[in-house]
Amino acid sequence: MSATVTPAPELDPRLLEVLVCPASRGPLRYDRQRQELVSDAAGLAYPIREGVPILLIAEARELQGAP
Amino acid sequence: MSVTPFLFDARKVRLHRARAAKGFADAAFLHARAAEDCADRLEEINRPFPRALAYGGGPALLGALTRRALRDKLGVVLVADSCAALAPGPASLVFEQEAAPLAAGSCNLVVSCLALHWANDLPGALVQSRLALAIEGLFLGVVFGAATLLELREALLAAEAEMGVGASLRIAPFADCQDMAGLLQRAGFAQPVADSHILTVRYAQPLALLRDLQTMGESAAFTQNPRPLTRKVLARALQIYTERFSDHDGRVRASFELITATGWAL
Repeated sequence: MSATVTPAPELDPRLLEVLVCPASRGPLRYDRQRQELVSDAAGLAYPIREGVPILLIAEARELQGAP
Repeated sequence: MSVTPFLFDARKVRLHRARAAKGFADAAFLHARAAEDCADRLEEINRPFPRALAYGGGPALLGALTRRALRDKLGVVLVADSCAALAPGPASLVFEQEAAPLAAGSCNLVVSCLALHWANDLPGALVQSRLALAIEGLFLGVVFGAATLLELREALLAAEAEMGVGASLRIAPFADCQDMAGLLQRAGFAQPVADSHILTVRYAQPLALLRDLQTMGESAAFTQNPRPLTRKVLARALQIYTERFSDHDGRVRASFELITATGWAL
């Protein structure tokens, strides 16, 4: 592992304004640390890769203890 | 026989697009053409679109929508695709049009460029676009029409029939121009209009067409794989293609019907 850590590109704020969860159509919470968009309603976390949110249900992480 | 819920496999489509991404700019001449056409039409519409979503056209669509003449008309252009590598920044996202993660009324313009033909639920995808649009928002979509690849379709069917192997679905069914306007209406769009034109591309040989389809990420992506195309049947199909669809100079024709559909959200 390299010691240099390049910070992940930030999510463009213009995207956050318009995005909802594709599964529940509920709001998404931006988890900056994990670089994920979290849908509490659907119990899914969508990855953000290099600043690009991947809003595919097939690629989302299921949250532990989700409904 | 078991019931097949979905005709197309979205995962395969994404895979094909991801593989094609690197050479997409060179291969996707149809997308570039459709993108330029979209931009031309937007130039004719005299109203601003503060937030636009561009889907499916790769870098060509972003380039067309950010051309100088549209700079004052289009505000933010969000670029989306089912494949991240085909959604160039600065503000890009990945989603499927049938499950659009866009807040209601959040966009003023949705442009969908040659991507809806892989939707299992085309009416549903159109409804999603309409929901994403604010009042007086515009949907502008370019889809492949029924005349697309009719030569290849005919050649494959003829070869399969001739060799007694039975016909397989190898080329996706494409939309009908008149149906598109109806679908837009059903999805709740006002003033739905669809027009189409056929683009004839000429190749040195039919195999070059197949290669082109692959390099633009348009390999078949059915949920159930068709019967494998044997070398013999393929060879015969290519032969039939050349026999039936050659010009005097020996080059073969391939038709692509591009349907442009527009509708307004009220």
